Amino acid sequence: MRTILSNLLAIYQRELRSYFASPLSYIMTAVFWLLGGFFLAVILLSPEGLIAQVAREDQAQQLGLASAPIDVAYEFLQYYVGLLGSLSMFILPILSMGLYAEERKQGTLELLATSPVMNWVVALGKLLAVVTFYGAMVLPLMLCEAIALDAASPPIGPTLLIVSHAGLMLLAASVLSLGMFLSSLTSSTVLSAIMTFGLVLFLWIVEALARSLPGAIGTGLAHLSMLKHFTDFTQGILDTSGIILFFSYIGLGLFLTAQSIETLRYQRN
Amino acid sequence: MLRRFLPKTGGGDVITSNNRDDAEQTPMIEVEHLHKVYGSTTAIRDVTFSVAPGEILGFLGPNGAGKTTTMRILTGYLPATEGTARVANFDVHRDSMAVRQRIGYLPESPPLYLEMTVASYLMFVARIKRVAAGDRSDRVTLAMQRCGLMEKRDVLIRKLSKGYRQRVGIAQAIVHDPPVIILDEPTSGLDPRQNNEVRHLIRGLAGDHTIILSTHILPEVSATCNRVAIINQGQIVATDSPEALMNRLSDNLSYEVELHGDRETGRQTLLGVPGVSVVEPLAQDQTVEGRQRWRVMTLAGQDPGAAIAAAVIHQGLELHELRRQRASLEAVFLNLTTEEPQIAEEAAAIAPASPEPEAQPPAPEP
Repeated sequence: MRTILSNLLAIYQRELRSYFASPLSYIMTAVFWLLGGFFLAVILLSPEGLIAQVAREDQAQQLGLASAPIDVAYEFLQYYVGLLGSLSMFILPILSMGLYAEERKQGTLELLATSPVMNWVVALGKLLAVVTFYGAMVLPLMLCEAIALDAASPPIGPTLLIVSHAGLMLLAASVLSLGMFLSSLTSSTVLSAIMTFGLVLFLWIVEALARSLPGAIGTGLAHLSMLKHFTDFTQGILDTSGIILFFSYIGLGLFLTAQSIETLRYQRN
Repeated sequence: MLRRFLPKTGGGDVITSNNRDDAEQTPMIEVEHLHKVYGSTTAIRDVTFSVAPGEILGFLGPNGAGKTTTMRILTGYLPATEGTARVANFDVHRDSMAVRQRIGYLPESPPLYLEMTVASYLMFVARIKRVAAGDRSDRVTLAMQRCGLMEKRDVLIRKLSKGYRQRVGIAQAIVHDPPVIILDEPTSGLDPRQNNEVRHLIRGLAGDHTIILSTHILPEVSATCNRVAIINQGQIVATDSPEALMNRLSDNLSYEVELHGDRETGRQTLLGVPGVSVVEPLAQDQTVEGRQRWRVMTLAGQDPGAAIAAAVIHQGLELHELRRQRASLEAVFLNLTTEEPQIAEEAAAIAPASPEPEAQPPAPEP
């Protein structure tokens, strides 16, 4: 048990360090922050933004036109975290593409596969590292949101913020885990990114697809939808089935990765 | 299983305490009837050999002969299609983790993380090879000393030359002090001086480590190995010591003779010796005035050295040099791996003890 933990930590640290040593990840982070900050500003402060809209509603109310009250903080958070989720769909395949493809290309997979480390430990270490890196990318934006929400009146608790971001992290971990599996199939990072993006796109739109399909197939497919459960999280709904779904995706990705490394490593080169 | 102490001599010839005595009886590496089939092509067929503890076995063969495949099976990286391989009495497939802990492996291209420094990379390898936390920095330092990497310890691997990267690869294979070291082409990409250093390093590791190395460079084998396994088209063609392999071809002996006296008499005298087939003149440019140099080819299986000397003296000629030319390992290699398949099998069938091999491998190309 101790050696497993020690191996896990070794893989995790090495992987995480490789993200901080790669120019690509800095560029990714910069773009992510830029877009994230831009959307934050647009949603809140633009002429069509939430604050302006609410101000107009207030005016309308003062003029005697009745309308439903708006929970601005709630609306903002749901909208913005959903947007971060969509943005991440483009970022995550790029984060996961090198996880194994790079090891294959550099030949280091041969080192890992001939070291006394179990395959799933390597996979888990790598997944934890890339999820950590993604978390580091999201954290500053979360702070910005917290600052914005701080101005809410009446004040809201941190629960909603935490639940919605937990959903975001679960979504990211699922995508990264499946992306890690696809990365383990090839030595080309570009191919692995494209495959992951295709898969993510499929899981994103599967709900719409399911609605058009009749009967049990449609209902079955609808359960695969990440978007549906992610939306639940952004609305502050902590649904067990969503948690189970995301953890199933994560587990599936880990399992398939370990299996593919076990059986597919002997490509001739 | 790791030693806490560093050798004070710097040479590193320390004997591991416990697993040496009991390992003396059983071979460290045992490979039996190994087959590996990739799709429709057979990479290796019926490979059988064993390596005693402390021995250095050289795998010699042209590219694509199956050296890398055999080594990958030994390290547990590839499963064999048929047959068994055992390292320190652990089956490489069933007890993979136990085997992995006992081997150091340098693949064909060194498995390096280019964005790490030499020291941090070796620390990482030591960690995943289960070196105890307290020993790690000592082991890493020792491996770097042995491979001549101390002045590069904080350099990014990306910035190292090919020769240094190869050394980091070797350091990676020995950092956890494994009883068995498997090196796939350890000297590829090195310049001659580095070559020598690496061979010296490998010889220094023998004794308390069992080593298998592969190469297609012949002088390397005779310089480093106790035993050679020649592999061609997936089959072991011969296994023996470098000396014995050379002796097997001693029926193709030749002599270099330097005489003083009449040229034609000299030639006739040499030709007249029983067992001599051909006499041809050698380049004369470096000989003293009046002396002549000849190459004397002998008939197969005969060694007329003494008769040559006697005949020359008997004729009243001066004998200044008489040198027997052994078939070099290079010639053995050419013979064994370039000839027709059926002759190769005959050559493999020769018992090492038989003084008169029946097979007549063709003479090496001049």
